Amino acid sequence: MNDSKWTWRSVSLISIAATVLLIIGFVYAVNDIINPAGDTLQTSLPQGTATPLTGTNELLKVVALGDSLAKGTGDNTGAGFVKRAVDGLAADGEHTELLGNMGINGQTTLGLQNSLKEEGVQYELRQASVILLSIGGNDLFRGSDILKDGSNSSTTSNSSAVDKDLTPEALLAALPEAAKRLGLILESIAKINPQAQIYYVGLYNPFGDIPDLLVPGNQAVAAWNNAAMDIINKHSNMTLVPTFDLFNRHLDQYLSSDHFHPNGDGYQRMGERIVQAVR
Amino acid sequence: MINLLPLIRNECLKIIKKKRFYVILLILLVLVPMFTYAQMRIAERSQNKFNSDWRLEVQQQITDNQNSLGSDRIPEEWKSYRKIFVQQLQYYLNHDVNPNEPSGVTFTREFLDNSVTLFIPLLIMAVASDLVSGERTTGTIKMLLTRPVKRWKVLFSKMAALLMFVSLIVLSTFLVSYLISGLAFGYKGFNVPVFTGFQISGDSVDMSTVHAVPQWKYLLMQCGLIWFVSVVVALLAFMVSVLVRSTAASIVVMMAALIAGTILTNMASAWTTAKYLFMVNLGLTGYLAGTPAPIEGMTLAFSMAVLAVWGLASVIISFTVFTKRDILN
Repeated sequence: MNDSKWTWRSVSLISIAATVLLIIGFVYAVNDIINPAGDTLQTSLPQGTATPLTGTNELLKVVALGDSLAKGTGDNTGAGFVKRAVDGLAADGEHTELLGNMGINGQTTLGLQNSLKEEGVQYELRQASVILLSIGGNDLFRGSDILKDGSNSSTTSNSSAVDKDLTPEALLAALPEAAKRLGLILESIAKINPQAQIYYVGLYNPFGDIPDLLVPGNQAVAAWNNAAMDIINKHSNMTLVPTFDLFNRHLDQYLSSDHFHPNGDGYQRMGERIVQAVR
Repeated sequence: MINLLPLIRNECLKIIKKKRFYVILLILLVLVPMFTYAQMRIAERSQNKFNSDWRLEVQQQITDNQNSLGSDRIPEEWKSYRKIFVQQLQYYLNHDVNPNEPSGVTFTREFLDNSVTLFIPLLIMAVASDLVSGERTTGTIKMLLTRPVKRWKVLFSKMAALLMFVSLIVLSTFLVSYLISGLAFGYKGFNVPVFTGFQISGDSVDMSTVHAVPQWKYLLMQCGLIWFVSVVVALLAFMVSVLVRSTAASIVVMMAALIAGTILTNMASAWTTAKYLFMVNLGLTGYLAGTPAPIEGMTLAFSMAVLAVWGLASVIISFTVFTKRDILN
């Protein structure tokens, strides 16, 4: 009987104390949610940049940025040229580390300009010593349905859609604006991290095997790559990695089933190019 | 009034003697280490990947969510959910606060968030579903009612004992989860800031009322909300146990209702009148964390009102049925 007396006492005391505490918490919570008082914490992300590349066997910190190509869409292994390039560099004996891949499907120069204003993106770029950038494809070939992720069900219906939507005029119309934005993007990346090496991946013509689109596509891509080259040549920490020749006349071999993104082999070739450029 | 306290005491001792509470503790002691271990593996893996820089990890999380926004295969509601999530992550990142700072306290916070709709209600049921129907199954109800004590007093003492154990269950869930996860993640982290006050409208988040709260206070508020949910669940389970003759049936009824709740919150949104069901409103802590409500138009006040109405109704039904009914078997 004495035993149960103590059990009762302790149980009742603890439970009453707990109940009071929980009710206090409940009142706090209701009050906090219904009348929230905004006050901001005044802290921001560390502003320092990664140490610049000096020695030969320095740690390469790779960050990728841009569109679906940077993300690796179309590669069945999901690796994309970014992981393949990192693996290639590591295989060559470089200390390489992939900090992050900020490639977003369907990203355009306009979208990238906005995301460069985000602090998280800037922070990640500051940590990098090698920045891989792929952008512009969606600006140039916008309006064609195959750019959308997930509509790769049948290639035949897609190519007919391409014929309707992609006229040479439309391809070239988007170019000057987008090229200007590319320049701004490259400059703001260089401003965010002046020490990093920036590698811009040039465009290829994914429609080279469609007779109507071969010439206008080639012209548009060449014009774009030239515009990019013009900008990049003015900066010592930027390099253009061409890919046009990798895919030209080998589209069936290196493009994935959506007829726009490279497949694993295509990405492998792009990755090898980047390894050559970085080393 | 004088004889109420000994009655409550008696009911409390019955609950303890029946070892229901030990079962609950045992369940916690078995399950929490499992969750802790799973969480530890996740933490290890991301540490290897991101070289222990949480900022890169959060940025990658943002990018991954942004990527899924472009996909046609993802339903619209999920997209707005992810848009909100992205904005919150960016807010954390902009203020250099790690949303998943690995510590026993953070683990407890997340564990409580995840267990409020199903796990804790189940623990509550382990005590509540048995209270009256258990006496009927064993036949001891006759002994109890032949005493010169009014029926409502008997029922009231049972309910009071139940509410005491509700507080004990919430408290011990917190303690067990903190003590065990602390072994793996460390016991510090009570002062880490957590953001609350995200005002969600549609798929955008109003940040003007966002403010930082130390994690201990956040946990206190969270436990308070969980307590409210638990009390309502306890009262409902108590009513079912009054209405149904066998304990098994009463557990099944409550379980079915709770599981239906989780299914409904996942399907959600299309059937808006579902928001008047109690089981859809159990996730009160979501309002604190700023996760969008499962059905458009649900707010904290709304959910609390719905829960309170259900709770009150079940108290009234329990008392009327119990005081009027003939005990036959």
